[in-house]
Amino acid sequence: MKHTERIVIIGFGPVAASLIEGLLPGVSAGTIELSVISAEPELAYNRVLLAEVAVGAAAAEHLNMVDGQRLREAGVKLHLGVTATGVDRSRRRVHLAGAAPLAYDRLVFATGARPVIPSLNGLNFDPHAESALPAGVLALRTLQDAHDLQQILSRRGRVLVLGGGILGIEAALAMAQAGHQPVLVHHGPAPLGRVVDADGGRLLIGSLQAAGVEVVSGVKATGIHTAQGFTGLATDTHGIIAGDGLLISTGVRARTELAASCGLETNRGIRTNKYLAADTEHRVFALGDCAEVDGHPPVGLLAPGWAQASWLAGFLLNHRAPRPDGPSRPIPADLPAPVFDTSDVLMLKGQGLEVTAAGDTSGGLFDQDKQVVVYADPANGRYLRLVTRDAVPKGFVAMGLPRTAAELVLAYERGTALPKDASTLLRLDDPADQSPAVAPGPGDQLCRCSGATYGEVEHAVESGCTTVTEVGESCRAGTGCGGCKATIEQMLNKLPVPA
Amino acid sequence: MGSTATHCPYCALQCGISLQAQPASEHEPLALSGRDFETNGGALCRKGYSAARLLAHPERLQSPLLRQPDGSFAPIGWEQALDLVARQVRDTRTAHGADAVAVFGAGGLTNEKAYQLGKFARLALGTSRIDYNGRFCMSSAAAGANRAFGLDRGLPFPLADLDRAAMILMLGSNVADTMPPFVRHLEGARASGGLVVVDPRRSATAKLCDGSGWHLQPTPATDLQLLLGLCHVLLAESLVDADYLARRTTGLAQLRSSVAAWWPERTEAVTGVPASQIRRTARELAAAAQAARSGADPVYILTGRGVEQHENGTDTVTAAINLALLLGLPGTRAGGYGTITGQGNGQGGREHGQKCDQLPGYRKITDPEHRAHVARVWGVDPEVIPGPGVPATELLHTLGTDDGARMLLVHGSNPALSSPDASQVIAGLRRLDFLVVADFFLSETAAEAHLVLPVLQWAEEEGTMTNLEGRVLRRRAALQPPPQARDELWIFAELARRLDAPGTFSSDPREVFEELRRASAGGLADYSGIDWEDLDAGAAVYWPCPRGTRITGTRSGTPRLFLNRFAHPDGKARLTAVHATAQIHRPGRLSLVTGRLLEHYQSGTQTRRVEELAAAAPEARLEIHPATALAYGIAEGQRVQLDNERGRVIARAALSTDIRLDTVFLPFHFPGGNNANVLTETLVDPSSAMPEFKHTTVSLHPLEER
Repeated sequence: MKHTERIVIIGFGPVAASLIEGLLPGVSAGTIELSVISAEPELAYNRVLLAEVAVGAAAAEHLNMVDGQRLREAGVKLHLGVTATGVDRSRRRVHLAGAAPLAYDRLVFATGARPVIPSLNGLNFDPHAESALPAGVLALRTLQDAHDLQQILSRRGRVLVLGGGILGIEAALAMAQAGHQPVLVHHGPAPLGRVVDADGGRLLIGSLQAAGVEVVSGVKATGIHTAQGFTGLATDTHGIIAGDGLLISTGVRARTELAASCGLETNRGIRTNKYLAADTEHRVFALGDCAEVDGHPPVGLLAPGWAQASWLAGFLLNHRAPRPDGPSRPIPADLPAPVFDTSDVLMLKGQGLEVTAAGDTSGGLFDQDKQVVVYADPANGRYLRLVTRDAVPKGFVAMGLPRTAAELVLAYERGTALPKDASTLLRLDDPADQSPAVAPGPGDQLCRCSGATYGEVEHAVESGCTTVTEVGESCRAGTGCGGCKATIEQMLNKLPVPA
Repeated sequence: MGSTATHCPYCALQCGISLQAQPASEHEPLALSGRDFETNGGALCRKGYSAARLLAHPERLQSPLLRQPDGSFAPIGWEQALDLVARQVRDTRTAHGADAVAVFGAGGLTNEKAYQLGKFARLALGTSRIDYNGRFCMSSAAAGANRAFGLDRGLPFPLADLDRAAMILMLGSNVADTMPPFVRHLEGARASGGLVVVDPRRSATAKLCDGSGWHLQPTPATDLQLLLGLCHVLLAESLVDADYLARRTTGLAQLRSSVAAWWPERTEAVTGVPASQIRRTARELAAAAQAARSGADPVYILTGRGVEQHENGTDTVTAAINLALLLGLPGTRAGGYGTITGQGNGQGGREHGQKCDQLPGYRKITDPEHRAHVARVWGVDPEVIPGPGVPATELLHTLGTDDGARMLLVHGSNPALSSPDASQVIAGLRRLDFLVVADFFLSETAAEAHLVLPVLQWAEEEGTMTNLEGRVLRRRAALQPPPQARDELWIFAELARRLDAPGTFSSDPREVFEELRRASAGGLADYSGIDWEDLDAGAAVYWPCPRGTRITGTRSGTPRLFLNRFAHPDGKARLTAVHATAQIHRPGRLSLVTGRLLEHYQSGTQTRRVEELAAAAPEARLEIHPATALAYGIAEGQRVQLDNERGRVIARAALSTDIRLDTVFLPFHFPGGNNANVLTETLVDPSSAMPEFKHTTVSLHPLEER
């Protein structure tokens, strides 16, 4: 007889969406009854594009990561706009605000992370609750936030972005590209201070300003001023920085309270073993931005969460839940755990400003234990700082070098060796023609299709051919793909032949 | 003597050729010249120009050859040869069952031979085990097009439609080397600055983008991810043709969610193509497509083997088609999607029943109505027709094993060289009780045979071919064949008679074509309205061409498919969500990609015997980036050993900055220790059974001696 297992997922972000996708075969086959609880009213969406939505460069519907109708038709029970208020692990129930509790056989926490709200006068900074922010102050984490930002921008408001991390920069760039006047406010000498060195930072500031982003560095913020909404940021260093909106982009913190309140261990996230299990019984799991897996704090990127989701779906499908009163079954020792993508590559999203950084770029040019390469061309907006050990990249910052950066990302992620001479990479971004400027000799092939050489064409011309067709009849040059006709014409006109 | 208007023996472009009955040189009994035909405009490449040099080549097989106890071959007569084959078939069948005899066909055979080979296998041999080398070429593109459009015709529009293109996105195709006269059809897009080539190498075709477009150079086997990224930009930035999608497609919601995860930066991190280039490409395609919808020049997306010959080839083709559909192109005058068919009759060869799961006219061998129709034409009980067989890689890799065939007949193909993990295939050929190979040269496969049957070359036979645009052409004889060479149609007829086969087997090409017309009637690839004499008169006829179609002086039949509806029952195209799996990269290994050279065609059985071509490209050279070569201590011209789990190849290095740092390239035309396919993977696409030809990993070792 077929036994149906009840699985409840708390949270409906991109990682939960991927887990649901992986569990669908079990749902369709009737072996899994899947319920999903989401505090937000929307289906899972892609937060990466929220800034584009706020500035009108992308429509909200395009963020959608799942087809809700398809999930419902498959039998997934979606509880949208419903908050989970508690978990009773002994009775195996999830309590919901304003709805009957949901019973589970296995439970998955995919509660994600919430923005860190800095301790500023005028802001509620309780780290363990959803913040009630004053009007005009927001963190770009939800579609509602994007909508709020859109409102401020539609009044042609000046928006301050607090925080020099990648998300803050991207939001500022998106606003600038849409014709707004964002102000990037951050402490430290330059944005991306954790990965970009001093010279790179200077160049980055210049590039941001050229892209229309005002940058205010070295700021120590102390509070906010409001008058029926945000009016300015109070600082110790720059007085009051006036603005019509404040976008807080100072990092995120795992949502662990619900897990902590039902007795699960939490630290930088809900603590799990390498199999994503948060309890000893292997009945409760956590993954994505809310989980500290096997001692690794969450990195805030999607790829690791997706890898975990894919693995967990396979595990849940193939390993049934422990029986209610039976002993917990150990996970087989030979079961491969999910492979963690620990990538820390940062890529700045936005046109005209191409910044990619990864790993540890510290170190001096003359350090013995690593090789440091620096290329700087600030006038052209180009900069590379590359740190390698045994030719393998350990960290880099690249600006204005799109192809170099793309190759470095691949080599960094795969751990493959780079060419001994780093300028090989830089040449990928050389706008000039790459073909060597050596004058062809008579024995060199002119026409690839026929194999005719410069000498043969020269002979044809000297023997009296006056048109490309005649040259073709004489030695077949130019009678294939036709790509060398221009060269033949030049030879007929006795022009010097370019390499 | 007059001249004979025919077509080149090599690729699917089927360039027009004129043959004059006057010896051009000692081994060249005919004078060959380019003929003004729409695909080539009179142009030919080196391969085409020199094709007549094979007609009287000294290595041409002159009589049936029987393997002797000492391993050598001895000439025998045809009666003896055919009796021997028939006896071997009967003995094998009696001992091991009908499926113990297998047939391997080719995309180079005429429509009539391809049709007759399928019929011969099913009726005379009674085997389900027939498949062909087109499985290694077009199967992923075919599966993708069938899934999206309900029908697979390589180019669903005339090739000349490309001439006016404002923009062409070409993925994994190097036409400047493989079919040079094709480049003439790219001139319009180049003049508009709209040629975009996707290739891990800066190939001859990619170089055409210099100043005329741009080249995207992804790391191998990430084409699917790149296409997902392009689709993502179109959807995220609302650049799609919403009206077209609503009217003519289904599946948008699922597609939308499936590409949401592939924003350009993530795509860059996997493919090595900068996010800015991904955005630019998507935006320019969208702008050009929008203009094309308002009457400006059209936009095309084309794929080739470079993106199709992968274990995710069908999904990659699907992603390319999804991109075209999002742009609102297929089935309109604003452009479209097409695949560039490779082999001479790669199109016709996949329509008429030499695929393990098909009957003529693209009919399904599992569909009772389809079986009944073909059985009626063949004059047999439908029960007589066997069920589906196994696809090429499985067929070849199980030869001589408990699961495989004991006897094999090979026509027009050289699987000992062209199959993935070729060493395994050679081992399989050697395990066979009896191997019969029909060819006009002693190919590497023929060299393994028990019996070799000499057959006709292109200029000695009559028939029809279907080119890359679905246009049906006449191949004509201009020359008497060598006295002991025979037409395969005659061989099938003689063997069928000896085997007491049901049905009839004509040895006359025109009679076989007439039967093919009836067999294909009502099928997807319907030839029933195509008249031999109209083809003789040079009519431009494109299938489907049902009976009663008026053949005119201009394009007839269906030059452009899908203008009113797609071939699915609801008339709509299917957007299918496809997913990319993570790349497993092996540290210390380089990616190996394989492909072709301008000078050679496929396994080189023909072109390696043309002195001019062999001199220009005598061996496989390993293309490697100078910086990579430096890291391995490899100099220009140095011999390099490539190893992986399947085998070893030794080739001389050719240093070039045209290739990626993480990738090396080998051409696959060469035999023995030079055979790139000794290294290729046997993984196959789950939908199409296409092998993973285009990506494997190898380790490199420079060899001391030069």
